[in-house]
Amino acid sequence: MSAEVTAARPAAISVRHLTHRFGAEGAASSVLAIDNLSLDVVQGEFLCLLGPSGCGKSTLLNIIGGLVIPTEGEVLVHGRPMNRPMPDRLAFVFQESTLFPWYTVSENFTIAFKYRGVARSEWRDRTTEALASVGMAEFARHYPNQLSVGMRQRVNLARGIAAGTDILLMDEPFAALDEQSRMVLGEDLSVLLARTGKTIVFVTHSLAEAVFLSDRIVLMSARPAHIKQIITVDQPHPRLPEFMLEPRFSELRNRCYAALRDEIRAAMTMQASPLGTSEGA
Amino acid sequence: MKDSPAASRLIQLGFLTAALTAWYVAGRFSAIPPLFLPPIDAVWSSLNGLIRTEEFWSAIGVTLSTIAKAYGIAVVLGVLAGYLVTRSRFLTAVLEPVISALFSIPITLFLPLFILVFGIGTASKVAYGAAYGFFPIALNTIAGLSRVDRRYLAAARALGISAFGTVRHVMWPAAFPVILTGLRIGFFIAFASVLGGETISSVEGVGRNIALSAELLEPARMYAWIVVVVAAALVLNGAVSAIENRMRGE
Amino acid sequence: MLAARAAILAVTLVAWEVAARPTGGADLIAPPSAIAQALFATVLRDGAIRSAILFTLFEVLCAYALAVAGGLVLGLAIGSTEMARRSFYPVVLLLYAIPQVVMLPLVTLVFGIGPAAKIAFGFSHGVFPVLVNVIAGMRNVNPLYVRAATAMGAQRADIIRHVMFPHMATSFFTGLRLAMTTTLLGVILAELYVSTAGVGYFTKLFAENFDPAPLFALIGILAVMAIALNELARSVERRFTHWRTASTS
Repeated sequence: MSAEVTAARPAAISVRHLTHRFGAEGAASSVLAIDNLSLDVVQGEFLCLLGPSGCGKSTLLNIIGGLVIPTEGEVLVHGRPMNRPMPDRLAFVFQESTLFPWYTVSENFTIAFKYRGVARSEWRDRTTEALASVGMAEFARHYPNQLSVGMRQRVNLARGIAAGTDILLMDEPFAALDEQSRMVLGEDLSVLLARTGKTIVFVTHSLAEAVFLSDRIVLMSARPAHIKQIITVDQPHPRLPEFMLEPRFSELRNRCYAALRDEIRAAMTMQASPLGTSEGA
Repeated sequence: MKDSPAASRLIQLGFLTAALTAWYVAGRFSAIPPLFLPPIDAVWSSLNGLIRTEEFWSAIGVTLSTIAKAYGIAVVLGVLAGYLVTRSRFLTAVLEPVISALFSIPITLFLPLFILVFGIGTASKVAYGAAYGFFPIALNTIAGLSRVDRRYLAAARALGISAFGTVRHVMWPAAFPVILTGLRIGFFIAFASVLGGETISSVEGVGRNIALSAELLEPARMYAWIVVVVAAALVLNGAVSAIENRMRGE
Repeated sequence: MLAARAAILAVTLVAWEVAARPTGGADLIAPPSAIAQALFATVLRDGAIRSAILFTLFEVLCAYALAVAGGLVLGLAIGSTEMARRSFYPVVLLLYAIPQVVMLPLVTLVFGIGPAAKIAFGFSHGVFPVLVNVIAGMRNVNPLYVRAATAMGAQRADIIRHVMFPHMATSFFTGLRLAMTTTLLGVILAELYVSTAGVGYFTKLFAENFDPAPLFALIGILAVMAIALNELARSVERRFTHWRTASTS
């Protein structure tokens, strides 16, 4: 199910025959999370992983980022196999702010820089720049719990971007925010993409968000995860709010829903029954 | 239901005033045998006299230094033990319940053993206070370090922070509030157990003086000492609360 | 897991046995074998010691019963209104912060050196956890429930009975468990202080005669008693609060 990987647009990330199982094979509590999944992420694209709850999209993201070693298969980032986190190549943005509450905002940035090997002389400027890009420049000396949830997540996002990596992995980063913040930050993300050419892999539940932000949407099945369909959204970045008003937008959104509807129902049934009896679902 | 804090303060003040007045009145009318409750003015003059004696201050010095030593040992051993235990999941799972179970026995039971081994002097109180204070500190250190929110650990890994860096930048700061609580509890336990040890069996110190006053049937002097200890306890409690509130306000 | 703990216990006992074998001077810590021997030959044989231990148990149970009853009644009274709580709870906490052990000589002056003093001292130690937990437990009642009950026509007493009491039951049972530990503490402290009879007399006797084995044995029995009582309190707590954890999982 690979897309148009060409010489001009190489694959930034290659997922090859990935299978992942939690728990020992054959054990009653073993869960097959991902089943023989292959995917190429083109450099400079915004790729969304869209699927029902518990389908394995976060697991897939964690494996791509090197936080989890897969049971079978491999992930290559810029041609190199991922077996541990590589903060110089990939930056993570998690759902809840993982800013350390005992450090100020700017101290949180310097920690990230320090372990990324960024030169000390650059720390101050890069922090200011990153914060400014999300409109949080005056809050450098604040502690995270002095900020609202939305502000914290913006800083979290800025920290991910400030790392200056080519690839950004984002796990439902806007899930805890109200709709207005989501829309504004979504637009900012699109602008960022257009400006920097970063590759972004984005996990979400939200159909509208996926259509608005992505170049390609990977529709995932319920557990065990495999790719149901890949939908291409042909709209250049930066995307404007007007895009959401076009009939094409609704059409794409409906296509996503149609493909996922059964998977969503399957996932809901799975959650109702205890682990171990859902293998056949 | 919106009573002002002033109203409840008033009640507390009234309570205190009533208690003191009752004490005064009881003394005036000899309502209660002076052996149990000497008149308030007798206690007051005893206290005044006591503060001027050298033995008062040396007793306080002995008790304070005993507490300081006991607590110091408890902190060092407790934090160290807590840290070492959490280095391994297996060790934590095995040892934490053991330490917790030991703590559920009143360590006071072992006071005679400490006196047997260390003698009747301050050494046994230091050992006893340290042993008692060790537990809440160790247990809280274990709890704090082993329950660091997984999300922060994941973030640290994602940022490429080294193992040592994770301990320094994530685990200790995250565990600190819990450990601090343990340090606070440990302090008050060391404080109370040193006093207890002195009261039950000792040759010097504040506790010894209280017991001695009772033995010599000098209730006014005993009450004077009790007032000193109660005042110290309240002041310490208030100070610790104030410090904690200040730290939390950050 | 159980195997690991048993292993630790075994290793500790063996190391203790080896280290404590008299090396001329290290006699003050008796090896487990000597302790076991003293236990059966001296301590449990002696009628006076046996009755001292049982009497201590009796004192603990009396003090505990009084502490629970007193703490519950007083706690309900203080916790039932916002005003009472705001006024008296800080007083309770302040009293809790005072090291009670300094009152021990006073208590013996007032109550004498018999069981009354030990029960009184045990009571004063045990009442606080119950009191604090009852008051705290009544505190966080969802005002919505109170409003709903009032709308249904409940009086103050009814509200206390049907809304607040069940709500604070969990805290109450936790308080019961803690109170067992502190009551024990109080009674032991009093026993050790009054060394003219009871358990305190024998500990003093063995200590002064530098006779470690029976001392360890006696303390061992008391420790076992303490653990047993604690486990009892803990299982009562678990039995009455298991529904809480089940519903929140």
